[in-house]
Amino acid sequence: MIQIRADRSRLWIVLGLLAVLHFAVRPRLGMSSVAPDFLMLALLLYAIRSRPGAAAVAGFLVGLAGDALAPSRIGAGALAHTVVGYVAAWGRAVFFPDNLFVNGLVIALGVWIRNAIVLIASGPAAGGLTMALLVWSPLQAITTAFTAALVLVLFQRWLDIRLEA
Amino acid sequence: MAPGSDRSLSRRDNALFLVCVALSVVMLVRPDWGNRVTSMVRVSVLRPFLWMQQRAEESRTSRAAFDRLRAERDSAAYAAQFLPSLRAENQRLRSLLGLGKRLTIPYVPAEVLHQSVPTDGRTLILSAGQNQGVQPFDAVVSSAGLLGVVRWVEPDRSVALTWAHPEFRASAFTQPGQVFGVIGPALQVTGSEQLLQLKGVAIRDSVPIGTLVTTSGLGGVYPNGIPVGTVFGQATEETGWERIYLVRPAANPEEATQVLILRNPKGTPVGQAFVADSAP
Repeated sequence: MIQIRADRSRLWIVLGLLAVLHFAVRPRLGMSSVAPDFLMLALLLYAIRSRPGAAAVAGFLVGLAGDALAPSRIGAGALAHTVVGYVAAWGRAVFFPDNLFVNGLVIALGVWIRNAIVLIASGPAAGGLTMALLVWSPLQAITTAFTAALVLVLFQRWLDIRLEA
Repeated sequence: MAPGSDRSLSRRDNALFLVCVALSVVMLVRPDWGNRVTSMVRVSVLRPFLWMQQRAEESRTSRAAFDRLRAERDSAAYAAQFLPSLRAENQRLRSLLGLGKRLTIPYVPAEVLHQSVPTDGRTLILSAGQNQGVQPFDAVVSSAGLLGVVRWVEPDRSVALTWAHPEFRASAFTQPGQVFGVIGPALQVTGSEQLLQLKGVAIRDSVPIGTLVTTSGLGGVYPNGIPVGTVFGQATEETGWERIYLVRPAANPEEATQVLILRNPKGTPVGQAFVADSAP
Protein backbone atom coordinates (compact mmCIF):
# COMPACT_ATOMS: atom_id res chain seq x y z
CA MET A 1 0.00 0.00 0.00
CA ILE A 2 2.84 2.35 0.93
CA GLN A 3 4.56 1.52 -2.36
CA ILE A 4 1.38 2.34 -4.33
CA ARG A 5 1.04 5.66 -2.50
CA ALA A 6 4.66 6.50 -3.20
CA ASP A 7 4.17 5.69 -6.90
CA ARG A 8 1.03 7.81 -7.03
CA SER A 9 2.74 10.78 -5.35
CA ARG A 10 5.62 10.51 -7.84
CA LEU A 11 3.10 10.55 -10.69
CA TRP A 12 1.56 13.71 -9.23
CA ILE A 13 5.00 15.32 -9.01
CA VAL A 14 5.59 14.61 -12.72
CA LEU A 15 2.13 15.95 -13.59
CA GLY A 16 2.77 19.10 -11.51
CA LEU A 17 6.10 19.56 -13.25
CA LEU A 18 4.40 19.32 -16.64
CA ALA A 19 1.81 21.93 -15.59
CA VAL A 20 4.61 24.30 -14.57
CA LEU A 21 6.43 23.63 -17.87
CA HIS A 22 3.24 24.42 -19.76
CA PHE A 23 2.95 27.91 -18.31
CA ALA A 24 6.58 28.79 -17.58
CA VAL A 25 8.53 27.20 -20.44
CA ARG A 26 6.09 26.75 -23.33
CA PRO A 27 5.65 30.53 -23.94
CA ARG A 28 9.45 30.84 -24.30
CA LEU A 29 9.51 28.24 -27.07
CA GLY A 30 7.47 30.46 -29.42
CA MET A 31 5.30 29.10 -32.27
CA SER A 32 2.32 28.48 -30.02
CA SER A 33 0.43 26.35 -32.54
CA VAL A 34 3.33 23.86 -32.87
CA ALA A 35 4.96 23.87 -29.42
CA PRO A 36 4.29 20.75 -27.30
CA ASP A 37 1.15 20.77 -25.20
CA PHE A 38 2.40 19.83 -21.74
CA LEU A 39 -1.09 19.92 -20.17
CA MET A 40 -2.41 17.45 -22.74
CA LEU A 41 0.65 15.27 -22.12
CA ALA A 42 -0.02 15.35 -18.36
CA LEU A 43 -3.65 14.40 -18.97
CA LEU A 44 -2.71 11.45 -21.19
CA LEU A 45 0.00 10.22 -18.78
CA TYR A 46 -2.61 10.32 -16.03
CA ALA A 47 -5.33 8.75 -18.19
CA ILE A 48 -3.31 5.71 -19.21
CA ARG A 49 -2.66 4.99 -15.53
CA SER A 50 -6.21 5.51 -14.28
CA ARG A 51 -9.73 4.18 -14.58
CA PRO A 52 -11.75 5.63 -17.46
CA GLY A 53 -14.13 7.49 -15.14
CA ALA A 54 -11.30 9.30 -13.32
CA ALA A 55 -9.62 10.02 -16.67
CA ALA A 56 -12.86 11.51 -18.02
CA VAL A 57 -13.17 13.80 -14.97
CA ALA A 58 -9.50 14.81 -15.28
CA GLY A 59 -10.08 15.49 -18.98
CA PHE A 60 -13.12 17.61 -18.20
CA LEU A 61 -11.14 19.70 -15.68
CA VAL A 62 -8.18 20.18 -18.04
CA GLY A 63 -10.61 21.06 -20.84
CA LEU A 64 -12.42 23.55 -18.61
CA ALA A 65 -9.08 25.22 -17.89
CA GLY A 66 -8.41 25.27 -21.65
CA ASP A 67 -11.80 26.87 -22.26
CA ALA A 68 -11.04 29.48 -19.62
CA LEU A 69 -7.74 30.31 -21.36
CA ALA A 70 -9.09 30.34 -24.92
CA PRO A 71 -12.82 31.07 -24.58
CA SER A 72 -13.63 31.01 -28.26
CA ARG A 73 -16.34 28.35 -27.88
CA ILE A 74 -16.75 27.43 -24.25
CA GLY A 75 -17.44 23.72 -23.75
CA ALA A 76 -15.55 22.57 -26.85
CA GLY A 77 -12.31 22.06 -24.94
CA ALA A 78 -14.06 20.33 -22.03
CA LEU A 79 -15.84 17.96 -24.42
CA ALA A 80 -12.68 17.17 -26.40
CA HIS A 81 -10.49 16.51 -23.36
CA THR A 82 -13.19 14.41 -21.69
CA VAL A 83 -13.51 12.16 -24.75
CA VAL A 84 -9.74 11.84 -25.22
CA GLY A 85 -9.10 11.13 -21.53
CA TYR A 86 -11.82 8.47 -21.40
CA VAL A 87 -10.77 6.76 -24.63
CA ALA A 88 -7.08 6.79 -23.64
CA ALA A 89 -7.90 5.12 -20.31
CA TRP A 90 -10.01 2.44 -22.06
CA GLY A 91 -7.32 1.92 -24.66
CA ARG A 92 -4.69 1.34 -22.00
CA ALA A 93 -6.91 -1.32 -20.41
CA VAL A 94 -7.27 -3.09 -23.75
CA PHE A 95 -4.00 -3.06 -25.69
CA PHE A 96 -1.24 -0.66 -24.63
CA PRO A 97 2.09 -2.36 -24.12
CA ASP A 98 4.96 -0.61 -22.34
CA ASN A 99 6.55 0.45 -25.58
CA LEU A 100 8.00 3.90 -26.15
CA PHE A 101 6.79 4.06 -29.76
CA VAL A 102 3.23 3.00 -28.88
CA ASN A 103 3.09 5.48 -26.00
CA GLY A 104 4.28 8.25 -28.31
CA LEU A 105 1.77 7.25 -30.98
CA VAL A 106 -1.10 7.24 -28.49
CA ILE A 107 -0.12 10.69 -27.22
CA ALA A 108 0.22 12.08 -30.75
CA LEU A 109 -3.19 10.63 -31.67
CA GLY A 110 -4.69 12.05 -28.48
CA VAL A 111 -3.45 15.58 -29.32
CA TRP A 112 -4.70 15.36 -32.91
CA ILE A 113 -8.13 14.03 -31.92
CA ARG A 114 -8.44 16.70 -29.22
CA ASN A 115 -7.65 19.41 -31.79
CA ALA A 116 -10.08 17.92 -34.31
CA ILE A 117 -12.95 17.84 -31.79
CA VAL A 118 -12.21 21.40 -30.60
CA LEU A 119 -12.11 22.72 -34.18
CA ILE A 120 -15.27 20.92 -35.27
CA ALA A 121 -17.21 21.88 -32.12
CA SER A 122 -16.06 25.50 -32.51
CA GLY A 123 -17.48 25.77 -36.04
CA PRO A 124 -15.98 27.27 -39.20
CA ALA A 125 -13.47 30.07 -38.87
CA ALA A 126 -11.51 32.57 -40.92
CA GLY A 127 -8.69 30.16 -41.66
CA GLY A 128 -10.74 27.06 -42.43
CA LEU A 129 -10.05 23.65 -40.96
CA THR A 130 -7.69 22.23 -43.56
CA MET A 131 -4.46 23.88 -42.43
CA ALA A 132 -5.33 23.43 -38.76
CA LEU A 133 -6.17 19.74 -39.10
CA LEU A 134 -3.59 18.68 -41.67
CA VAL A 135 -0.59 20.86 -40.85
CA TRP A 136 -0.58 22.53 -37.45
CA SER A 137 -2.29 19.77 -35.45
CA PRO A 138 -0.02 16.96 -36.73
CA LEU A 139 3.03 19.13 -36.03
CA GLN A 140 1.84 19.81 -32.48
CA ALA A 141 1.05 16.10 -32.07
CA ILE A 142 4.61 15.18 -33.14
CA THR A 143 6.33 17.70 -30.84
CA THR A 144 4.13 16.55 -27.94
CA ALA A 145 4.92 12.88 -28.69
CA PHE A 146 8.67 13.61 -28.71
CA THR A 147 8.35 15.46 -25.41
CA ALA A 148 6.37 12.50 -24.05
CA ALA A 149 9.15 10.11 -25.08
CA LEU A 150 11.67 12.31 -23.29
CA VAL A 151 9.53 12.45 -20.14
CA LEU A 152 8.95 8.68 -20.19
CA VAL A 153 12.66 7.96 -20.55
CA LEU A 154 13.65 10.43 -17.84
CA PHE A 155 10.94 9.43 -15.36
CA GLN A 156 10.36 5.77 -16.25
CA ARG A 157 10.99 4.63 -12.67
CA TRP A 158 8.74 7.27 -11.21
CA LEU A 159 6.02 6.46 -13.71
CA ASP A 160 6.51 2.75 -13.03
CA ILE A 161 6.95 1.85 -16.67
CA ARG A 162 9.25 -0.76 -18.22
CA LEU A 163 10.07 0.57 -21.62
CA GLU A 164 10.94 -1.66 -24.51
CA ALA A 165 12.97 -0.33 -27.40
CA MET B 1 -11.60 -8.48 -7.76
CA ALA B 2 -15.09 -9.96 -8.04
CA PRO B 3 -16.74 -9.68 -11.45
CA GLY B 4 -19.74 -7.91 -9.94
CA SER B 5 -17.54 -5.25 -8.40
CA ASP B 6 -15.71 -4.79 -11.71
CA ARG B 7 -19.03 -4.31 -13.46
CA SER B 8 -20.10 -1.67 -10.96
CA LEU B 9 -16.79 0.15 -11.40
CA SER B 10 -17.29 0.07 -15.15
CA ARG B 11 -20.82 1.46 -14.72
CA ARG B 12 -19.43 4.23 -12.53
CA ASP B 13 -16.81 5.04 -15.20
CA ASN B 14 -19.47 5.31 -17.87
CA ALA B 15 -21.69 7.43 -15.61
CA LEU B 16 -18.81 9.83 -14.86
CA PHE B 17 -18.02 10.08 -18.55
CA LEU B 18 -21.63 10.82 -19.46
CA VAL B 19 -21.91 13.45 -16.72
CA CYS B 20 -18.74 15.21 -18.01
CA VAL B 21 -20.00 15.09 -21.61
CA ALA B 22 -23.39 16.43 -20.52
CA LEU B 23 -21.76 19.32 -18.62
CA SER B 24 -19.63 20.14 -21.68
CA VAL B 25 -22.66 20.12 -23.95
CA VAL B 26 -24.56 22.37 -21.52
CA MET B 27 -21.69 24.88 -21.70
CA LEU B 28 -21.69 24.67 -25.50
CA VAL B 29 -25.43 25.30 -25.62
CA ARG B 30 -25.51 27.94 -22.87
CA PRO B 31 -22.33 30.03 -23.30
CA ASP B 32 -23.48 32.52 -20.63
CA TRP B 33 -23.21 29.77 -17.98
CA GLY B 34 -19.90 28.65 -19.40
CA ASN B 35 -18.60 32.22 -19.33
CA ARG B 36 -19.42 32.57 -15.66
CA VAL B 37 -17.69 29.30 -14.77
CA THR B 38 -14.57 29.93 -16.90
CA SER B 39 -14.27 33.48 -15.61
CA MET B 40 -14.25 32.13 -12.04
CA VAL B 41 -11.63 29.54 -13.02
CA ARG B 42 -9.42 32.26 -14.58
CA VAL B 43 -9.45 34.54 -11.55
CA SER B 44 -8.98 31.73 -9.00
CA VAL B 45 -7.29 28.43 -9.94
CA LEU B 46 -5.51 29.68 -13.05
CA ARG B 47 -4.36 33.01 -11.63
CA PRO B 48 -0.91 31.85 -10.45
CA PHE B 49 -0.39 29.93 -13.71
CA LEU B 50 -1.31 32.96 -15.79
CA TRP B 51 1.06 35.07 -13.69
CA MET B 52 3.79 32.51 -14.46
CA GLN B 53 2.95 32.61 -18.17
CA GLN B 54 2.99 36.40 -18.23
CA ARG B 55 6.52 36.43 -16.73
CA ALA B 56 7.64 33.86 -19.32
CA GLU B 57 6.01 35.82 -22.14
CA GLU B 58 7.71 39.05 -21.00
CA SER B 59 11.04 37.28 -20.76
CA ARG B 60 10.70 35.84 -24.27
CA THR B 61 9.63 39.09 -25.88
CA SER B 62 12.37 41.00 -24.12
CA ARG B 63 15.02 38.73 -25.66
CA ALA B 64 13.81 37.24 -28.93
CA ALA B 65 11.95 40.29 -30.14
CA PHE B 66 14.70 42.75 -29.28
CA ASP B 67 15.98 43.04 -32.87
CA ARG B 68 12.49 43.43 -34.26
CA LEU B 69 11.65 46.11 -31.71
CA ARG B 70 14.89 47.93 -32.46
CA ALA B 71 14.06 47.91 -36.19
CA GLU B 72 10.57 49.20 -35.44
CA ARG B 73 12.00 51.88 -33.19
CA ASP B 74 14.39 52.97 -35.94
CA SER B 75 11.53 53.20 -38.44
CA ALA B 76 9.43 55.11 -35.91
CA ALA B 77 12.31 57.48 -35.17
CA TYR B 78 12.78 58.11 -38.90
CA ALA B 79 9.05 58.82 -39.33
CA ALA B 80 9.06 61.02 -36.24
CA GLN B 81 11.60 63.37 -37.83
CA PHE B 82 8.83 64.68 -40.07
CA LEU B 83 6.30 64.84 -37.26
CA PRO B 84 6.87 68.43 -36.05
CA SER B 85 6.39 69.88 -39.54
CA LEU B 86 3.34 67.64 -40.15
CA ARG B 87 1.89 68.62 -36.79
CA ALA B 88 2.38 72.31 -37.50
CA GLU B 89 0.85 71.93 -40.95
CA ASN B 90 -2.08 69.98 -39.54
CA GLN B 91 -2.64 72.61 -36.84
CA ARG B 92 -2.53 75.40 -39.43
CA LEU B 93 -5.08 73.60 -41.66
CA ARG B 94 -7.34 72.81 -38.71
CA SER B 95 -7.33 76.43 -37.60
CA LEU B 96 -8.08 77.49 -41.20
CA LEU B 97 -11.07 75.12 -41.20
CA GLY B 98 -12.13 76.24 -37.74
CA LEU B 99 -11.47 72.88 -36.09
CA GLY B 100 -10.17 72.44 -32.58
CA LYS B 101 -7.37 70.15 -31.38
CA ARG B 102 -7.25 66.60 -32.67
CA LEU B 103 -8.50 64.04 -30.18
CA THR B 104 -5.83 61.72 -28.79
CA ILE B 105 -6.73 58.21 -27.77
CA PRO B 106 -5.14 56.90 -24.57
CA TYR B 107 -3.88 53.32 -24.70
CA VAL B 108 -2.66 50.51 -22.47
CA PRO B 109 0.14 48.18 -23.65
CA ALA B 110 -0.32 44.46 -22.98
CA GLU B 111 1.30 41.11 -23.59
CA VAL B 112 -0.61 38.34 -25.38
CA LEU B 113 -0.74 35.06 -23.46
CA HIS B 114 -1.05 32.46 -26.22
CA GLN B 115 -2.56 29.05 -25.49
CA SER B 116 -2.06 25.57 -26.89
CA VAL B 117 -5.55 24.88 -28.27
CA PRO B 118 -6.10 25.30 -32.02
CA THR B 119 -8.73 28.02 -31.53
CA ASP B 120 -6.22 30.25 -29.73
CA GLY B 121 -6.19 33.04 -32.34
CA ARG B 122 -9.96 33.58 -32.14
CA THR B 123 -9.71 34.95 -28.61
CA LEU B 124 -6.63 36.28 -26.82
CA ILE B 125 -5.84 36.59 -23.13
CA LEU B 126 -4.21 39.99 -22.53
CA SER B 127 -2.04 40.88 -19.56
CA ALA B 128 -3.89 44.11 -18.71
CA GLY B 129 -7.30 44.44 -17.10
CA GLN B 130 -9.56 46.60 -15.01
CA ASN B 131 -6.72 47.75 -12.75
CA GLN B 132 -4.97 49.25 -15.79
CA GLY B 133 -8.17 50.97 -16.93
CA VAL B 134 -9.22 48.50 -19.63
CA GLN B 135 -12.96 48.32 -20.31
CA PRO B 136 -15.14 46.04 -22.41
CA PHE B 137 -15.32 47.12 -26.08
CA ASP B 138 -11.91 48.77 -26.10
CA ALA B 139 -10.21 48.22 -29.47
CA VAL B 140 -7.08 46.03 -29.59
CA VAL B 141 -4.41 46.83 -32.20
CA SER B 142 -0.89 45.71 -33.03
CA SER B 143 1.74 47.69 -34.91
CA ALA B 144 0.35 46.22 -38.16
CA GLY B 145 -3.33 46.96 -37.65
CA LEU B 146 -6.61 45.93 -36.06
CA LEU B 147 -6.70 42.73 -34.01
CA GLY B 148 -10.05 42.84 -32.25
CA VAL B 149 -11.99 44.13 -29.29
CA VAL B 150 -11.92 43.53 -25.54
CA ARG B 151 -14.85 41.32 -24.60
CA TRP B 152 -14.41 40.44 -20.92
CA VAL B 153 -12.39 42.29 -18.32
CA GLU B 154 -11.00 40.95 -15.05
CA PRO B 155 -8.87 42.75 -12.45
CA ASP B 156 -5.48 41.95 -14.05
CA ARG B 157 -6.42 40.35 -17.36
CA SER B 158 -8.81 40.80 -20.20
CA VAL B 159 -10.07 38.61 -23.01
CA ALA B 160 -10.11 40.00 -26.53
CA LEU B 161 -12.28 38.70 -29.34
CA THR B 162 -10.21 38.90 -32.53
CA TRP B 163 -11.28 39.33 -36.15
CA ALA B 164 -10.81 35.55 -36.59
CA HIS B 165 -13.78 34.89 -34.29
CA PRO B 166 -17.03 34.05 -36.12
CA GLU B 167 -18.90 36.77 -34.17
CA PHE B 168 -16.51 39.61 -35.03
CA ARG B 169 -17.89 42.56 -37.05
CA ALA B 170 -16.62 46.12 -37.59
CA SER B 171 -17.66 49.01 -39.77
CA ALA B 172 -14.96 49.70 -42.36
CA PHE B 173 -14.27 51.74 -45.46
CA THR B 174 -11.73 51.77 -48.24
CA GLN B 175 -8.94 54.30 -48.70
CA PRO B 176 -9.07 55.77 -51.26
CA GLY B 177 -12.58 55.34 -52.53
CA GLN B 178 -14.57 55.81 -49.36
CA VAL B 179 -16.59 52.67 -50.02
CA PHE B 180 -18.29 51.59 -46.81
CA GLY B 181 -19.03 48.05 -45.68
CA VAL B 182 -18.96 45.68 -42.73
CA ILE B 183 -15.82 43.67 -42.13
CA GLY B 184 -15.98 40.16 -40.69
CA PRO B 185 -14.12 36.85 -40.95
CA ALA B 186 -14.47 34.91 -44.20
CA LEU B 187 -15.86 31.73 -42.64
CA GLN B 188 -14.73 28.68 -44.56
CA VAL B 189 -14.23 24.97 -43.99
CA THR B 190 -11.60 24.01 -46.54
CA GLY B 191 -9.53 27.19 -46.87
CA SER B 192 -5.91 27.45 -45.87
CA GLU B 193 -5.48 31.19 -45.38
CA GLN B 194 -7.11 33.40 -42.78
CA LEU B 195 -9.16 35.99 -44.63
CA LEU B 196 -11.67 38.73 -43.97
CA GLN B 197 -14.73 39.77 -45.96
CA LEU B 198 -15.89 43.29 -46.66
CA LYS B 199 -19.65 42.80 -46.95
CA GLY B 200 -22.54 45.11 -47.58
CA VAL B 201 -20.79 47.11 -50.31
CA ALA B 202 -23.34 48.75 -52.61
CA ILE B 203 -23.60 47.04 -55.99
CA ARG B 204 -22.75 50.33 -57.76
CA ASP B 205 -19.39 50.57 -55.95
CA SER B 206 -16.34 48.65 -57.07
CA VAL B 207 -13.06 48.38 -55.21
CA PRO B 208 -9.77 47.75 -57.01
CA ILE B 209 -7.41 45.04 -55.80
CA GLY B 210 -4.77 46.37 -53.42
CA THR B 211 -7.04 48.98 -51.83
CA LEU B 212 -6.47 49.55 -48.13
CA VAL B 213 -9.43 48.91 -45.80
CA THR B 214 -9.57 50.75 -42.48
CA THR B 215 -12.08 51.09 -39.69
CA SER B 216 -14.64 53.82 -40.33
CA GLY B 217 -15.30 54.85 -36.74
CA LEU B 218 -19.04 54.25 -37.16
CA GLY B 219 -20.61 52.50 -34.21
CA GLY B 220 -18.30 54.07 -31.65
CA VAL B 221 -16.23 50.96 -30.85
CA TYR B 222 -13.25 51.26 -33.19
CA PRO B 223 -11.65 54.64 -33.82
CA ASN B 224 -11.49 55.79 -37.41
CA GLY B 225 -8.47 54.88 -39.53
CA ILE B 226 -7.08 51.66 -38.04
CA PRO B 227 -5.76 49.48 -40.91
CA VAL B 228 -7.75 46.26 -41.28
CA GLY B 229 -6.27 44.76 -44.43
CA THR B 230 -5.93 44.95 -48.20
CA VAL B 231 -8.50 43.94 -50.80
CA PHE B 232 -7.24 41.08 -52.96
CA GLY B 233 -10.31 39.68 -54.66
CA GLN B 234 -14.06 39.52 -54.96
CA ALA B 235 -16.19 36.75 -53.49
CA THR B 236 -19.29 35.43 -55.17
CA GLU B 237 -22.54 36.70 -53.76
CA GLU B 238 -25.67 34.72 -54.48
CA THR B 239 -28.46 37.24 -53.96
CA GLY B 240 -26.95 39.95 -56.17
CA TRP B 241 -27.80 42.80 -53.81
CA GLU B 242 -24.31 43.62 -52.63
CA ARG B 243 -20.66 43.15 -53.43
CA ILE B 244 -18.40 41.11 -51.14
CA TYR B 245 -14.64 41.64 -51.23
CA LEU B 246 -12.00 39.35 -49.79
CA VAL B 247 -9.51 41.18 -47.60
CA ARG B 248 -6.07 39.96 -46.58
CA PRO B 249 -5.71 40.99 -42.91
CA ALA B 250 -3.06 43.49 -41.85
CA ALA B 251 -2.40 41.87 -38.46
CA ASN B 252 -2.38 38.20 -37.50
CA PRO B 253 -3.72 37.44 -33.98
CA GLU B 254 -1.82 34.14 -33.81
CA GLU B 255 1.50 35.94 -34.19
CA ALA B 256 0.75 38.96 -32.01
CA THR B 257 2.91 39.12 -28.90
CA GLN B 258 2.50 42.73 -27.79
CA VAL B 259 -0.62 44.80 -28.38
CA LEU B 260 -2.08 48.18 -27.57
CA ILE B 261 -5.53 48.40 -26.01
CA LEU B 262 -7.06 51.69 -27.15
CA ARG B 263 -9.06 53.03 -24.23
CA ASN B 264 -12.60 53.70 -25.29
CA PRO B 265 -12.81 57.43 -26.00
CA LYS B 266 -16.32 57.46 -24.53
CA GLY B 267 -14.79 58.32 -21.19
CA THR B 268 -12.59 61.14 -22.52
CA PRO B 269 -13.99 64.64 -22.99
CA VAL B 270 -14.45 65.54 -26.66
CA GLY B 271 -14.96 69.25 -26.11
CA GLN B 272 -11.42 70.11 -27.19
CA ALA B 273 -12.17 68.80 -30.67
CA PHE B 274 -14.74 71.49 -31.24
CA VAL B 275 -14.30 75.22 -31.57
CA ALA B 276 -15.54 77.16 -28.56
CA ASP B 277 -18.92 78.77 -29.08
CA SER B 278 -18.31 82.29 -30.34
CA ALA B 279 -21.66 83.51 -29.11
CA PRO B 280 -21.37 85.91 -26.15
